[in-house]
Amino acid sequence: MLTIQTKNENNILTLSLDGRLDTTTAPLLEDELQKSLPGKDALIFDLEKLEYISSAGLRVLLSAQKRMLGEGGMKLIHVGETVAEIFEVTGFSDILTIE
Amino acid sequence: MMNEVQTTITNEEVRIALSGRIDSNNAHAVEEEVLAAVAGREKLPVRIDAEKLEYISSAGLRVILHLKKSAPDLCITNVNSEVYEILDMTGFTQMMTVEKAYRVVSVEGCEEIGRGANGTIYRIDKDNVVKVYNNADALADIQHEREVARIALVLGIPTAISYDVVRVGNSYGSVFELLNASCFSKILAEHPERMDWCVKEYTEMLKKIHGTLVPEGKLPDMKQTALGWAKFMKDYLPKEEGDKLVSLIEAVPHDDHMIHGDYHTKNLELQGDEVLLIDMDTLAVGHPIFEFASIYNSFIGYSEYDHETVKRFQGFDFETAKTFWNKVLAAYLGTNDEKKLREVENKARVIGYARMIRRSIRRHGLETEAGKAEIDLWTGELIDLLHSTDSLLFLRNEMEIEAKSERLPEVLSFIEQHLEACACPAKLRMQIAIAAEEIFVNIANYAYAPKVGKATVRVEISEDPIRVTLIFVDNGKPFDPTKKNDPDISLPAEERDIGGLGIFMTKKIMDDVIYEYADGKNILTLKKEL
Repeated sequence: MLTIQTKNENNILTLSLDGRLDTTTAPLLEDELQKSLPGKDALIFDLEKLEYISSAGLRVLLSAQKRMLGEGGMKLIHVGETVAEIFEVTGFSDILTIE
Repeated sequence: MMNEVQTTITNEEVRIALSGRIDSNNAHAVEEEVLAAVAGREKLPVRIDAEKLEYISSAGLRVILHLKKSAPDLCITNVNSEVYEILDMTGFTQMMTVEKAYRVVSVEGCEEIGRGANGTIYRIDKDNVVKVYNNADALADIQHEREVARIALVLGIPTAISYDVVRVGNSYGSVFELLNASCFSKILAEHPERMDWCVKEYTEMLKKIHGTLVPEGKLPDMKQTALGWAKFMKDYLPKEEGDKLVSLIEAVPHDDHMIHGDYHTKNLELQGDEVLLIDMDTLAVGHPIFEFASIYNSFIGYSEYDHETVKRFQGFDFETAKTFWNKVLAAYLGTNDEKKLREVENKARVIGYARMIRRSIRRHGLETEAGKAEIDLWTGELIDLLHSTDSLLFLRNEMEIEAKSERLPEVLSFIEQHLEACACPAKLRMQIAIAAEEIFVNIANYAYAPKVGKATVRVEISEDPIRVTLIFVDNGKPFDPTKKNDPDISLPAEERDIGGLGIFMTKKIMDDVIYEYADGKNILTLKKEL
């Protein structure tokens, strides 16, 4: 289960993820990005309630990061300890902006 | 009086014997005759004895309909198969009780090929067998067994359905087609070298039965039956132990999966290269622990006091029975861990002893020396087990599943159950789940593409130190994920490749990732110390 909450303030898109970002739920997030991201200045992921992320989830984050490079950028906020450790292991902590 | 109608009146019924042909030529006269026979006798049930009835046309059927109006509980007995077919086609068998005339079959000198709780199975000729019921008044049992066998067949369980009911001596039998079949007991007794093959087929069938979901209410609930045994046992156990037995069974959750109820090797037949399940009258739903109780009894329990029992019943000796039981348990659970096997065995024995003791007491076991000694032996074991058992539930260590990514949640919840049972910290649980997801999704996406195949997932947990081992097996294209190049994680995002990450994460998370290709199978073993 994954619940995505979207907020658009000053053309900055914030997606709050609640639950699991895995093979089954990653397509949901991908669709949401396809729909809401175009034309936005920046992207923020609020991961406070994210319990689980697998490589399928990381791939979505990576492709979003690539898309936002030319724009105002992307950052992750409220990253919990267990998720942070996954970013560490995969080297994602070096390429993503984590607050 | 016409010779087509013979009326006999007793103080229990009005019996109308019909004979010959009833069609438009004589229907009117027959109708007058039968209505006259029942007139003024409305209190008595009416039975048509069709033993000598050769043919009935629609004009004759209308006579029966009219008769039914004045005798609502009309039944027709001794119906020959031609007339039965007419009554069945026209829906009369749905409207009233219609009993067929039974062919008489003798089983004298016939080979006994199976024996179950309610009857014995004999081969009557090269293509057919008959199951003779112990109970003389067995028609209801036969009806039940046909019904449950039909339910099982529709749900995909290979079984034989009886096509005829016959009279055998003072009892009834149901006849099945069973060509050149050989039961597993015979194979085990005559070909000890086929033990492992028997274990494999027997266990696969057992998993198939237990994997079959039965629509609610179609089959009896084994838990209720076992609760009945436990309540009976309260009179023969110290209070504390009696209460514990009942509460252990009450704590087993309701389960709508099928169990056979009498699954021993005389009830599994090899016909050509097909394995068939027979003797379906004990079919029920429930947790597999109830099935294992009955299997334990068949191979070991009933022979604990007298080791010759199993030889008499199955044809192979006690040692063979013990070996077979152990191998089946290991194959079913998906582990060779001795501790785990004995743990599940002990849970099965709790229910198994309750059943055997009750059965023996009801058969006057307490009235003979040998019977009493046997009951004492079982009761002693049961009391010991009740002291050391806190739950009758167990987890299998292996699951087989269609390798599709939609099935991932089932795989993860299977692994989670084991991790929870060993008190694995949440952080590690998530990491192990990530690794399992990567491997399973890889198999789902690539091993059989574009087709779909199966994957087997096995979880083993060893103690001191606690180490979790996950084993993934598939029969797909050979592929060694450990050979895949690691992605360069030092590259900036715009240069990073999207693939290869999953395997890399798995290798980072787990202590060991070992690939092996054997017997046409990809076997990937992942280990993690907690």
